[in-house]
Amino acid sequence: MKAWPSWVIGGLSGLVVLGVWVGVTSAGLIRDLFLPGPLDVWDGLRELMDEGYKGRSLLEHMGVSLMRVGAGFVSGAVVGTGLGLAMGHWRRVDAAAGPFIEFLRPLPQLAYLVLLIIWLGIGETSKITMLFLAALPVAAVAARDGVRNVPGERLLVARAMGASEWQVFRHVVLPSALPEVLVGARLAAGIVYGTLIAAEIISGANGIGWMILDAGRFLRSDYVFVGILMIGMAGVLIDRLLVLLERRVVHWAGR
Amino acid sequence: MIDGVTRRGAIIGAGAATFATPFAIGRARAAAPAGVNIGFFTETKPTMVAKGLGWFEQGAGAKLSWTEMGSGADINTAITAGSCDIGLATGSVATAAGIAQGLPFEVIGIVDNIGPGEDMTVRTAANIKTPADFKGKKVATPFGSTSHFRLLGFLKTNGLTQKDVTVLDMKAAAIQAAWARGEIDAAYVWPPARSKIVENGGTPYKTWDTLDKAGYVIADMIVVRTKFAEQYPDAVVGFLKAYDRALTMYRQKPEETAVIVGKEAGVTAAVAAADMKEYDFISLKDQASEAWLGGSPGKFAGVLKSTADFLVEQKSIKSAPAVAAFQKAINISFLQKAMA
Repeated sequence: MKAWPSWVIGGLSGLVVLGVWVGVTSAGLIRDLFLPGPLDVWDGLRELMDEGYKGRSLLEHMGVSLMRVGAGFVSGAVVGTGLGLAMGHWRRVDAAAGPFIEFLRPLPQLAYLVLLIIWLGIGETSKITMLFLAALPVAAVAARDGVRNVPGERLLVARAMGASEWQVFRHVVLPSALPEVLVGARLAAGIVYGTLIAAEIISGANGIGWMILDAGRFLRSDYVFVGILMIGMAGVLIDRLLVLLERRVVHWAGR
Repeated sequence: MIDGVTRRGAIIGAGAATFATPFAIGRARAAAPAGVNIGFFTETKPTMVAKGLGWFEQGAGAKLSWTEMGSGADINTAITAGSCDIGLATGSVATAAGIAQGLPFEVIGIVDNIGPGEDMTVRTAANIKTPADFKGKKVATPFGSTSHFRLLGFLKTNGLTQKDVTVLDMKAAAIQAAWARGEIDAAYVWPPARSKIVENGGTPYKTWDTLDKAGYVIADMIVVRTKFAEQYPDAVVGFLKAYDRALTMYRQKPEETAVIVGKEAGVTAAVAAADMKEYDFISLKDQASEAWLGGSPGKFAGVLKSTADFLVEQKSIKSAPAVAAFQKAINISFLQKAMA
């Protein structure tokens, strides 16, 4: 049996889910509070496009959220990667920073929500800082492991050929670790994205995460679905962009 | 409302919560249920006496499992999912929304008329004296709560829009934190957050009396999942009787009550006593009278209807049915049996 190409399987599974969705909702098996039908969601989307949500346009909500995600991700990934590379290369940095990173990584962001408000207020700073703190440890651990996994013989050869410590880092360690750094960046982007709703709890009333939360309070499932679909599609898009970047920058990875 | 975290306010995943059904409701009508799931808020109210001393459990004749809810909307969701049988002191705003959406519960009683319990606090330094002074100011409230409803009513009745005033969605704890940093000029919230921000450079700004007259009445309700009420009417009556007992104790021995309530809610007896004075706890007799749930068409059905209409205007819910649907969702037969 010849294997089907994956896009066919992906398309089919999409169709099946859509079919079940249409079938279940149009047959009236489930109340629209639980699962709105595709048409309800479409109407909800058009309503939101035309009138916005609670005083702000849908694009404004989305834009604000993407700005927060972008700022939190970039700052967290850059600082985290830098720190991780240093931790991987110099044991002392690892010993000094490691415990904090390990502590921060599994910490639920909601746990320090109130602290962030007390320290940084209710504006953008506290929201972006929360996203930064979500991205930082993930990027750092990936970069550190990337550096640690550089084969020892590569370092030995480089050193034997007379490379300075900086040259070893720049020409051997960095390129070897780069694939893992970029995988870390993708993971971090996912986590930042997942933290968005928590960040937008800090204070409303804008952002797509806040919109989902607010609409969910009174079971406005049509708006919730629109929000989820938008946030989901933007998420896939961000991930694809990072994959593209990964392919361009580290096209040699795995070979 | 005592831990200062959340009450009927916002909480993460309000919509997504609790789709698990902890136990299957019995096959046939039975005298006593095997267990009852109660959704509640930790609050400084006489309900905590009936909870703490096990009166609710005796009254219902079954083991109760208590789940602290983040908001009235959470109670709606949990009841709809079948994982909550009785919602204790859920706000009238969530109740009105739930009835408008045809959720499977009925209103069987009222814990309190919120009255002055929830009201505006303004930062003394912000020098807000008249409604017009709110222009350009930041006001925080937990969205979807009874306080939020009142705040929007305050803006509307004074000809202010959300373009004039920045209304922020914040949980009670976040309000206290933002208040301490001086980032918000006013907040519409309940105690203890309210008492704390008053202590911290705030001045009460009275809005509740005019709003009550203008129809923005808010109250805390007791709601029961319809199927549960049909299956176990005795348990529901027993539950109301237990609340009556606690209410009577509060009327006769307020100090003693405050001690127990404070212990249950994690505050001092003095705080509990002060908080309870802010609320108008309604006796079972008055609840069943025409002033509240009684009558047909009753007054409270009208309150719920106008609340729901307001929510439609706010696009919080899609549509609201006629007042008859709200009347139908109010069932005072349990109150009457509890008094008999």
